[in-house]
Amino acid sequence: MINYIYNIPHAIGSNVLNLFAHIGKISIFFYEIIFCTFTLPLYFKTFFNQIIKIGYNSLPVIGLTAFFTGSVLALQIYVGGSRFNAESIVASIVALGITRELGPVIAGLMLAGRVSASISAEIATMKVTEQLDALTTLSTNPIRYLVVPRVLAAMLTLPILVLIADIIGIMGGFVVATQSLGFIEQSYIKNTFDIIQLNDVISGLIKAAVFGFIVAFMGCYHGYNSTGGAQGVGRSTTKAVVSASILILASNYILTSLVFNS
Amino acid sequence: MTDLILKIEKLHKSFGEKVILNDFNINITRNTSQVIIGGSGTGKSVLLKCILGLIEPDQGIISYNNTPLNRDTRKEINFYDEIGMLFQGAALFDSLTVWENITFAIKSKRKNDLREIALDKIHKVGLDSTVLDLYPSELSGGMQKRVALARAIAKDPQLLFFDEPTTGLDPIMADVINNLINEIIDQVGATAITITHDMESAKKIADKISMLYKGNIIWSGDPGEIECSNNPYVDQFINGRSEGPIKINIKD
Repeated sequence: MINYIYNIPHAIGSNVLNLFAHIGKISIFFYEIIFCTFTLPLYFKTFFNQIIKIGYNSLPVIGLTAFFTGSVLALQIYVGGSRFNAESIVASIVALGITRELGPVIAGLMLAGRVSASISAEIATMKVTEQLDALTTLSTNPIRYLVVPRVLAAMLTLPILVLIADIIGIMGGFVVATQSLGFIEQSYIKNTFDIIQLNDVISGLIKAAVFGFIVAFMGCYHGYNSTGGAQGVGRSTTKAVVSASILILASNYILTSLVFNS
Repeated sequence: MTDLILKIEKLHKSFGEKVILNDFNINITRNTSQVIIGGSGTGKSVLLKCILGLIEPDQGIISYNNTPLNRDTRKEINFYDEIGMLFQGAALFDSLTVWENITFAIKSKRKNDLREIALDKIHKVGLDSTVLDLYPSELSGGMQKRVALARAIAKDPQLLFFDEPTTGLDPIMADVINNLINEIIDQVGATAITITHDMESAKKIADKISMLYKGNIIWSGDPGEIECSNNPYVDQFINGRSEGPIKINIKD
């Protein structure tokens, strides 16, 4: 019994210390990324490769997800709207919902699953096989060579992916509304363009840049700090996806409530 | 006065309560091949990582050409431009071809010049131009080690590090690598520091052998002297006996 009583403060103390150690490591990692981003050299070849890997290769996944999200949103809004005799709002809600919220969040989460996991696994494997050490002995800063191009590529490509997801998502709603819910094509398109403002799209794109940073940062951070061989690679991949997803949802709320609420 | 290229004084490193290097001292003379032998977990790899700046030691001074090494001085004297390292598992970059791996650290040169350099180095390690455009995953273990060796000598380093160069290779390939190391040390005129527990390899490539045990050097001498060292630890290790003063903790 006394042991249990002693164990409680011990457990609290060790968790608090771990938390501060973690915050410290993340802060140093963040600082090093910022420092390396604004100092030479930048590895343009790696950066362009990452744009293809992160951006171009994610297009099918994000396009499909956006299409079905827009489609199901149209169906649900139609059901909800019909209870208030307000079926006509489908086009407006789909357009606003996709551009302001669902486009960036769905794209961010898909990218967290696809890219964060792959970045983390790749860097963790490089660590396990001493390739990170090899970079250092070859006069190359691993953060500058591996992390910065990935973070910049994700921050640049996710807004572009979100813009495409916005268009495809709205198209998904349009297809369902006109082909199965009986909406007239011209009036649906007119309602969509009437409701959307530039701010709606831009707020989504700014969120996307933040989510892009989170996705690449979490992938790189967990991969870079992976320990324990093959098991550690798996652990770091899981941590990267989970932490990136949670941070995307949390930062989405913070950004929406503080910046884009008006 | 001997010409020291590397001097390590009172080096100490521990992880938690586990002491890995304890008051470690060694002097490495220029143009010699120093081999450090020792069992698994005796601190060989930690020592190498401390020298290379991959691990920060708790205490002690590592001097290269009389300059104490730390994060800043390594940059100031371009330490990494003067060394080459052969990693145990080769540590080639999977996403790059052989020639890109070999010339990775060489900046500000055109592609054709880099390929020429890669070709020259790949010949030095006994391979030919057909491997230049292959990826590491397309090579056998022995070939990967050779490519890694070519990468290590790409910048004609003054100081070469070899981490278990023959581990995971069959006896013939291990001998080929040993011969290559000897040839390269002669060709490049570099100083070599090798850590290994392969006694055949140690005897073949060493000018001087030191044995590491519990974080410190317990014996040093020429390769010819090791058989009659009169040191029970060395005797047990080189003859590979389980009985003796070195106790293996199976639980670890």
